[in-house]
Amino acid sequence: MHDSGTIPESAGRAEAPGGVDGEGVEPRTSAAAAHTTGLVRGFVRRLLLSEYFVLWLMIIYFLALLPFLPSLSNPANLANILSNVWPLLAVAVGQTFVLTIAGIDLSQGAVVGLTSVVLGMLVATQASPEILSNASIWGSILTEEGGLFNGLAFAVPAAIAVMLAVGAVVGLFNGVAVAYFRMPAFMVTLVSLIVFSAFALWITQSENISDFPPGLVSLGKSPIVSVFLGAAAESRVLRRELYPIVTYPMLISLALAISAHFLLSRTTFGRHVFAIGLNRKAAEISGVPAARVIVLVFVISGFCAAVGSLLYSTRLETGMPSLGQGAFLLDVIGATVIGGISLFGGKAKIVWTFLGVLFFALLSNTLNLMNLSSFHIDMMKGAVILSAALLDATRRRIMAREG
Amino acid sequence: MRISQTVAACAALGLVGMFTAAPAGAATICWAFQDLETEFWVAGHKAVIQSLEEGGHTVIERNANESANKQLEQIRDCIAQGVDGIIFIPQDGQSAVTIVKEAQASDVPVVVFNRPPTDTSRGVVVVADNEKIAEQAVAFMADEARERMAATGKKAVPLIMVGDLGDPNAVGRKAGFYKVIEANPDLFETPIEVATKWDAATALANLEAAITANPDVDFLFTSSDFLFPTIRSVLEPRGMWVKAGDPKHVIMGGLDGDVTACGLIKDGFVDATGVQDLFYEADASVNAILKAIEDGDPTPNEVIEDPGFALTSANLADREMDMWGCALLAEKS
Repeated sequence: MHDSGTIPESAGRAEAPGGVDGEGVEPRTSAAAAHTTGLVRGFVRRLLLSEYFVLWLMIIYFLALLPFLPSLSNPANLANILSNVWPLLAVAVGQTFVLTIAGIDLSQGAVVGLTSVVLGMLVATQASPEILSNASIWGSILTEEGGLFNGLAFAVPAAIAVMLAVGAVVGLFNGVAVAYFRMPAFMVTLVSLIVFSAFALWITQSENISDFPPGLVSLGKSPIVSVFLGAAAESRVLRRELYPIVTYPMLISLALAISAHFLLSRTTFGRHVFAIGLNRKAAEISGVPAARVIVLVFVISGFCAAVGSLLYSTRLETGMPSLGQGAFLLDVIGATVIGGISLFGGKAKIVWTFLGVLFFALLSNTLNLMNLSSFHIDMMKGAVILSAALLDATRRRIMAREG
Repeated sequence: MRISQTVAACAALGLVGMFTAAPAGAATICWAFQDLETEFWVAGHKAVIQSLEEGGHTVIERNANESANKQLEQIRDCIAQGVDGIIFIPQDGQSAVTIVKEAQASDVPVVVFNRPPTDTSRGVVVVADNEKIAEQAVAFMADEARERMAATGKKAVPLIMVGDLGDPNAVGRKAGFYKVIEANPDLFETPIEVATKWDAATALANLEAAITANPDVDFLFTSSDFLFPTIRSVLEPRGMWVKAGDPKHVIMGGLDGDVTACGLIKDGFVDATGVQDLFYEADASVNAILKAIEDGDPTPNEVIEDPGFALTSANLADREMDMWGCALLAEKS
């Protein structure tokens, strides 16, 4: 987008005073050194301004660590990294839309927890009164015989539709408050985070709902295509080396990401989203239905968080009100920002989000492989996100200077 | 030169990984825990690490910070890293089932430490008989209450601080408490339940409310000893935190057997606590995982029960050093 192959003249000039002192130094040598420096600077500058900076960084990071962490490139580890990418990608895609309009959606964690509970209370095949009899939904939606939809022919698709709708409704609430009441997105979604998290905890009294039907569990876990690479030699207990390559979470997340990519880059709606992110007032003057677009953006964000919740819940085989709490938002926003989505709005690509999520999953994985403590891992993640935000600000400054 | 700095930093971090790699021939064990928020978990964590390292094995630690999803991802990382076995403390009973299945599907033997899965048929589960231990502790408290009733003619007003019922340990402890209460209908009024969710802040708020509404509570059982400081902060301002022998003494008991409980029994504030044999559980977990590795068994399934016992003000002199909390207290002093 803003790639430039030119080498700034100042780069060569900057080296001249230090390199040529007029005595004992060959002019040709100093000129060559200045040229080399200029080339390096130009390369770094091009890299820094590249749309795919995070991709290059990821490749460098991977290759640099490979000699020290040989298990990094194991098929098992690569399959594992990918399995962690898909649910996070679904949520991050929604956050991308909100960041593009220069907003933020802090309620995604609450949507993940709430919709996870909604899924559980509709599809559970049984429920323990010992654990859940104090839950607010006990006896009405959830009983010993399971969830409300248990036993129905289309229980699973119907429950998924309801949970996605709940996510969209939370997004609708956020969007209306931001678009029509002109409330700051940060405040609105922070309140949603608190309210809907508490609501999720209240309806189950903090308890988890398990016993998902097998079909739903396989949606989150069972591979569609796996490869067998023989028996593992490393561990002392012989293992089957069977790696899932194509999984349902992969297909769901990629379908969502591809749809989002088309929506954002190939439609009028997408152009409106960018216009609002760059300057809402100017967009409104230009005829962009800003309020409607903002509402839709938050609805998409809530919907995507619910899709992520579906993938997280099915792989844990549990509806958990606490899902999405803790450092979850750090992962979502961090991955998105690392990918290059600007916190200032108006600059985004779904492919950047994908790369950001991939890098974030790789980062988490490598920090684990280094056997760092959880405290150090969170500190490192924070440092990387801060660096990404700083890089974004630097890139904007350079681009603004160069017009 | 940000790129070169990045590469250098990554390389430096990589060295950490290189130097922590397992020596040839030794087993590499993934030791994953949900958090270390209580004395019991801290002591258990230390005991498992010590036991493994003394045997020359490499330990890979993972702290999930109370997130079941993070724990699943961490254990998947461990599996991908090629560990020989996994010992873990799950966040809750349901996610434990999922993680055990995940490990066994990857042919990695797995041991669940202290907090059992809701389905104990898979994996090695090392767990205390929570119901029996709680029953023993509460039975002693009931004897104390009966003596008091003989003097005052009043029934006891019992209160139980219930743990997170997603954790089978909490369910067992609650069941043990009710077994004694229901066996003595002449002795007890209807029990008051206070939810704690294994969280001190939640426990504080709910206990404050319960004691305000029921100031005549005189029989209190906490499902975990780690809540005694919380209980004290509620009872002390109301003049209810007094030693045994005082008419205002609340007959009190707990479960775990930690350092705080040991001190409080010695001081006369607490009457009994159910003791989980932490060191036995740590050794049993380590031995079970090493045996599975030695046997080449990727799916060992067994429940190893810690019988436990109740340390009371009556048997303190004889059994003090059998309680891990008292042993640690003696080490400290």
